[in-house]
Amino acid sequence: MNLTDEQINRYSRQIVLKEVGGIGQKKLLNSKVTVIGLGALGSPVAYYLTAAGIGNLKLVDFDKVELSNLHRQILHSTDDINKNKSQSAFEKLSALNPDCNIELIEELVVPGNVKEIIKGSDYVIEGSDNFPTKMLINDACVDLKIPFTIAGVLRFHGQIITVIPEKKTTCYRCLFGDVAESPTGMSCSQAGVIGLIPGVVGCIEANEAIKYILNIGELLINKILFVDLKTYRFTMIDAYRTEDCLACGEHAKDLVNSYDYGVENACH
Amino acid sequence: MSLNNEGINVKKLDICGKVCPMTFIYTKLALEEMDSNEILEVLLDFPAAIENVPDSCKRQDLAEVVEIKEIEGNKKTWLLILRKI
Repeated sequence: MNLTDEQINRYSRQIVLKEVGGIGQKKLLNSKVTVIGLGALGSPVAYYLTAAGIGNLKLVDFDKVELSNLHRQILHSTDDINKNKSQSAFEKLSALNPDCNIELIEELVVPGNVKEIIKGSDYVIEGSDNFPTKMLINDACVDLKIPFTIAGVLRFHGQIITVIPEKKTTCYRCLFGDVAESPTGMSCSQAGVIGLIPGVVGCIEANEAIKYILNIGELLINKILFVDLKTYRFTMIDAYRTEDCLACGEHAKDLVNSYDYGVENACH
Repeated sequence: MSLNNEGINVKKLDICGKVCPMTFIYTKLALEEMDSNEILEVLLDFPAAIENVPDSCKRQDLAEVVEIKEIEGNKKTWLLILRKI
């Protein structure tokens, strides 16, 4: 596969980087990334991955655009209210970069469809708005050995963790264990969220996918990055595996088909 | 691609009309396809590229300059001869 003159021009400012080049650009164009959720986190993720030339993007969201989404979900505009988020995202992203082959999945991610959705992905980015879905994505990706990044945001802060199952790095369940509810006990709709925080955190998630595909820099593995936009403290702490983790431990089970996630009842 | 009198592969690239940074980017893309020690002859007409392309090639450990030849004509052009590192 040779880059066209148009592609060379479009991606010139990243091809020029030593870490990318034409070889790296072709890797991006040949990659398959799945984005779970096209809301506050998924918006910057999908925008930047499309712009960077990720060749195959699978976008997953069942929800419709609401007025109260618009202060943080930058893929969608006022004219998109009541439109499916996946459709709204498709319109913006296909206009941004026709190189990107976009597949839409307009379904709620549940134990019954999660593996089918993420199967064949080189990377998964979790950008849902609820804890049960994050745990479900973790367990399914660990089981299928697909690298992924999970993030969460609330108020002015957020956290990001990347998991590389092949390397047996600390997973999301290692950190939060066998709990069905968010440790904070609150969702964004209750606690509030400043529109910028999913923007910053989502960009970091997209950066993780690009770095993984290009094999550059250091990933957020075996550590969590905490971002606080009130104080501008970016804090990285070590995160350790749990030996008996139900998802990645020695006696791991097929959790997706046995665990009661309660995704359908989660607050979205 | 042709062979020079030392039996080394020589590739030619005409980027007349291109300006920086596209001069370096096209040079870089050509070099990425080549093996170590092969020669790339770049024909260019953007004056700043005579410094910028060799400088960027050096910074990214892509190639070293063998020679820069000025070619007289209606419009000034240069032949930048690079050896892939």
